[in-house]
Amino acid sequence: MSITRRKVLAGSAVGAASLASGLAAPAIAANEPIKIGYLPALTGPSSSTGIGINRGTVLAVDEINAGGGIDGRKIELIVRDTQSDPTKAVNAVAELAQRQKVAIVWGPLNSGEALAATPLIARDKVPMLHPCWVDELIDVKKYPMAFRIAPTNTQVGGGANYYVVDVLKLKKVAVISDTTGYGTASVNTYVPMLKAKGAEVVYENHVDAANPDLKPELLRMQSAGAQAIMPWSVNAGFLSRILNTRGAMGWDVPVVGQTTLGSGQTKALLEKPENWNKVYSNNFRQVCFADGKLPERAQEFVERLKKAKIEMGDTLLWWIALGWDGAKMMGDTLKAAGPKADDIVAHWNKTKGWPGVYGTVTWTPEQHNGFPDSEVVMCEVNSLKDGAFNLAPGYAA
Amino acid sequence: MFASIVSYGLAVGAVYALIGITYNVMFSASRVFSFTAGMLGMLGGVLGALFIAKMGLPAIVGLVLVLACGAVIGLVTELLTVRPVLKSIEQHLYVLSTLAFALMVQQLTAVEWGTEAQPFPRLIPIGPGWLDQQFWLPMLACAVTIVGLELLYRKTLIGRAFLAIAEDSYAARALGLPETQLRMASFALAGVIGTLAGFTGAEMLLAFFGNQSILNFYGFVPVALGGMGSNRGAVVGGLALGLFQQAANFLVGGIFAAVAVFAVFIIVLLLRPEGLAGASTARRV
Repeated sequence: MSITRRKVLAGSAVGAASLASGLAAPAIAANEPIKIGYLPALTGPSSSTGIGINRGTVLAVDEINAGGGIDGRKIELIVRDTQSDPTKAVNAVAELAQRQKVAIVWGPLNSGEALAATPLIARDKVPMLHPCWVDELIDVKKYPMAFRIAPTNTQVGGGANYYVVDVLKLKKVAVISDTTGYGTASVNTYVPMLKAKGAEVVYENHVDAANPDLKPELLRMQSAGAQAIMPWSVNAGFLSRILNTRGAMGWDVPVVGQTTLGSGQTKALLEKPENWNKVYSNNFRQVCFADGKLPERAQEFVERLKKAKIEMGDTLLWWIALGWDGAKMMGDTLKAAGPKADDIVAHWNKTKGWPGVYGTVTWTPEQHNGFPDSEVVMCEVNSLKDGAFNLAPGYAA
Repeated sequence: MFASIVSYGLAVGAVYALIGITYNVMFSASRVFSFTAGMLGMLGGVLGALFIAKMGLPAIVGLVLVLACGAVIGLVTELLTVRPVLKSIEQHLYVLSTLAFALMVQQLTAVEWGTEAQPFPRLIPIGPGWLDQQFWLPMLACAVTIVGLELLYRKTLIGRAFLAIAEDSYAARALGLPETQLRMASFALAGVIGTLAGFTGAEMLLAFFGNQSILNFYGFVPVALGGMGSNRGAVVGGLALGLFQQAANFLVGGIFAAVAVFAVFIIVLLLRPEGLAGASTARRV
């Protein structure tokens, strides 16, 4: 087939027409939904957190859309289940940022996936909001569009240290971890912090989590005069062995540490329910019972969850609240600043005392970690009711 | 302290010894060092917890089902990972095939069972203390297994056929012994012993997919210490390993306990490469 001048002209006309229709797109887009890329782990080994956060996120988006959306435009969550797999998170980021052209990325919700995905989201210049604790995930120079709506690992460890040294007034502390990267890094970070607070670390060790008998370690702690045990591990087997050994020794020492201490998996491995007494795990002031009552915002949120028939018995209130806060923060931002990336980041950089259910958020251009130290608290692990825990004893109301 | 070293040391040691025997039973019949032994141990705990704690079956039914599953997995191991590579055994392809199969099963367990350790039910409500089942059950299983194997190998015709295959498979075949069937029976038997180890040790080690790598390694140590193919050597090596590991936990603690175990293991192998109980075999040239 020969190419004639007429055919070239006709082709050009079609091209011009399609270009013109492309130029007219913003007028149509004014009514189109605003897309938010959402990267939860809804399946796979780290999915229990994702499932809880997802309930809050979906509820908030439904509420925003039912209330008229963002100036008449609905929010559309483009959900990509990372399946707890960093590779899948990375692939999803490419699709969300480049093909779907989302306004904001919410997630990934787990640190392992966020570590892989954050540099890519930063490269594509998409505003990113995430709830992961690993400190390195926020760096205003490397990732100027990434913001954290949860505490950092340093804050979490600092909260536990504060409780032991300043609330319980205990000075001799045993710090133990498993031999994983998380365990060793936590001990290496938190021990100097404890010492800086004036505590004496009488025992410090990393132990293989598979070791079935931790009695030698606890005997060493006891003979060193430890007044509190601080275990840093996400391994329920390891933590339950510490608690069971403490129970078998009849040693009435408080155990203060990470949230897994209060998980259902740890509970299932206890030899006696009493072994969970005097065990305090990280939690958050806004979603803890104090004197039998939740703070006002959380109580009102629980009522809404009940009304929306959202299941709370198999998850934790702080996970749902965190999901709700993330979506609500994005909704408020889009309403105030619109869907352009630079405007969103500028708005977030000026956020001060934003009242979430899970926590109060403040960001500045120099600090994208938004969670206040004062809201990282410890709770009594054996007090779970409706997905929330009692504040550990000793805190001022 | 002494009581804790002896009770935990012997109990864990008995589990290691049984895993060592599992390696040996598979090795004797095929000359293949199958890295599925730790997998069988891990499955013994996970399947036991599944049948008894989750499905609510009586303990004895659960045990029988676990052992039956072990036998079936042993047969599958032989069919899928050992038989295809026997012809080129000198290339050691079995390292890859058995390890790959074990890792596949471990990942499947992680997906279906979960990555968190889960409790194993207390079957006999005695204890706590010395009488707790987590201490004596693995030791009882180890004693029953070693006595049973001795009786099988020395008193029965099929046991002697196993020994004949282990000694010289070509000569045994020439005499008309059904080598393939005997090898399959050995792998089924190894499956039963491996899952028994995991089942009896699970109250101590918990029902946890991660136990596979620990049992694979610590179960290998008694084989290396006791001499390849020697079940008595595996029992002595396993119990010694358990006691030494637990003593090291008390004396040095933390990660140094593991370092101490590895250091002694390497020193023993340097001094006696054929193992403590193994005899160096003369090779005809």
